[in-house]
Amino acid sequence: MKKTKAIKLVLISATLAACNQPEKKDWETNGNSKVHLRSDTSAPYTRVHHNNAGIGTALLWYYAFRPMGNFNNNQYQRAGYYSGGIAPSSNIGKNNFKGAVIRGGFGRSAYSVSS
Amino acid sequence: MQRNTIEPRNNWQAAVEKLGFGFHSSDLPYWDESVYYSFGITEINAIEKATNELWEMSLAAVQHVIDHQLYNQFAIPAFMVPLIEKSWEQDHPAIYGRFDLCVKNGQIKLLEFNADTPTSLYEAGIVQWFWLQDFNASKDQFNSIHEKLIAYWKFLNRFLHNNSLHFTCLKESLEDLTNTEYMRDCAIQAGLNTQLVFIDDIGWDEMNQQFVDLEETAIQNIFKLYPWEWLVNESFGENILKAKNEPYWIEPAWKMILSNKSILPILWQLYPNHPLLLPAFFEPGSLTNFVKKPKLSREGANIEMMQSGIATNKTGGEYGEEGFIYQALFSLPEFDGKYPVIGSWIIGQEAAGMGIREADGLITDNKSRFVPHLIS
Repeated sequence: MKKTKAIKLVLISATLAACNQPEKKDWETNGNSKVHLRSDTSAPYTRVHHNNAGIGTALLWYYAFRPMGNFNNNQYQRAGYYSGGIAPSSNIGKNNFKGAVIRGGFGRSAYSVSS
Repeated sequence: MQRNTIEPRNNWQAAVEKLGFGFHSSDLPYWDESVYYSFGITEINAIEKATNELWEMSLAAVQHVIDHQLYNQFAIPAFMVPLIEKSWEQDHPAIYGRFDLCVKNGQIKLLEFNADTPTSLYEAGIVQWFWLQDFNASKDQFNSIHEKLIAYWKFLNRFLHNNSLHFTCLKESLEDLTNTEYMRDCAIQAGLNTQLVFIDDIGWDEMNQQFVDLEETAIQNIFKLYPWEWLVNESFGENILKAKNEPYWIEPAWKMILSNKSILPILWQLYPNHPLLLPAFFEPGSLTNFVKKPKLSREGANIEMMQSGIATNKTGGEYGEEGFIYQALFSLPEFDGKYPVIGSWIIGQEAAGMGIREADGLITDNKSRFVPHLIS
């Protein structure tokens, strides 16, 4: 046989499953004084499928990876992505050292790699 | 090789979405299961053998380019040469590539090699495999992509720097994200500790001279679905060589040689008249029927097809600044007005399976469809 015997997906399935969970809005309930802001418009995915019954799973998947961040000292800081597939420790920035890090130096060439 | 038309599954959209395949349709259908191709095992064995042979030839061609310092022919910036050579000499981790082949009348010809950022990995490894489970699970398919990816990540794990392996791609493309997340899925199953960071979220830590993720954790190994020629021309490009922790980039920098269509004339120089190659040159010379291809381009952009001095096909785009190569025309086979290209995967050092892109014309572009296959 030239085909894979059995296939299991651990990340993509888990991500989709996480997308179907009610959104956890902990910033509304835990007394955290930080204001969290969604920045959906910064990630206008293409080729997202919408089916007639409502929002497709692909769109839900996008929501899992939409960026999140917060305002701190009047500066918006990107902190991670909403996703059950990403370790919580890496999902929200807790690192107080926000020193000389510059971002945005990659990623300006195109909207898709497709090859 | 036969083209067969069938009725798609009633719930095919839901079936593929369940797999996380969200870009099956856009303005035009992309995944097309109203058709499949069937191959005899002899044909598949020939494609597999050709893929392994082309891989060996490609590695020899890289050595040749490095030995003879032919970087100008590839429009590779001089500042990248030390990293290209280092990544080659030290055998930095690499995992995959896709040869685009024309299979016709018992012949197999290399059209090009997507060695740096090949896509359609998920469609080939997962979506068509599950399609076959529904269509006829007793049939075979040239597709051990999934198990070979997991096995090779396990192998590579011992060579990576400590800590986690980052994965990066553009955030605007669901297709890129799906391919990247699929690769990450395989790495997780191989026991690697992984993190996703979108390409424009990568930070440069000026104080410590290293790339960092959103947690400001140093990036020590990074799988990128983002071409080298874009990386090196962006504002962080020269930082790649400054990074003190010397991260492994996967695919490594030496893939800049193989992902450039200048490799086609080099291969022809090294292996003249090889049955898997088409004559290819840096100038059209005596070619009368040929395809003019930009050294760097994607999805069939800026291709020009000439037959007896007349341009018969031409696609638009923004590529060509680096120059062109000229490859003898070997038309794709036609099946009911459709033209299939075989994308044959190399994973690690082995042929691993294939996917088929079917176009309405002789140039396979971003409107071409992915169709499944089986071994009859």
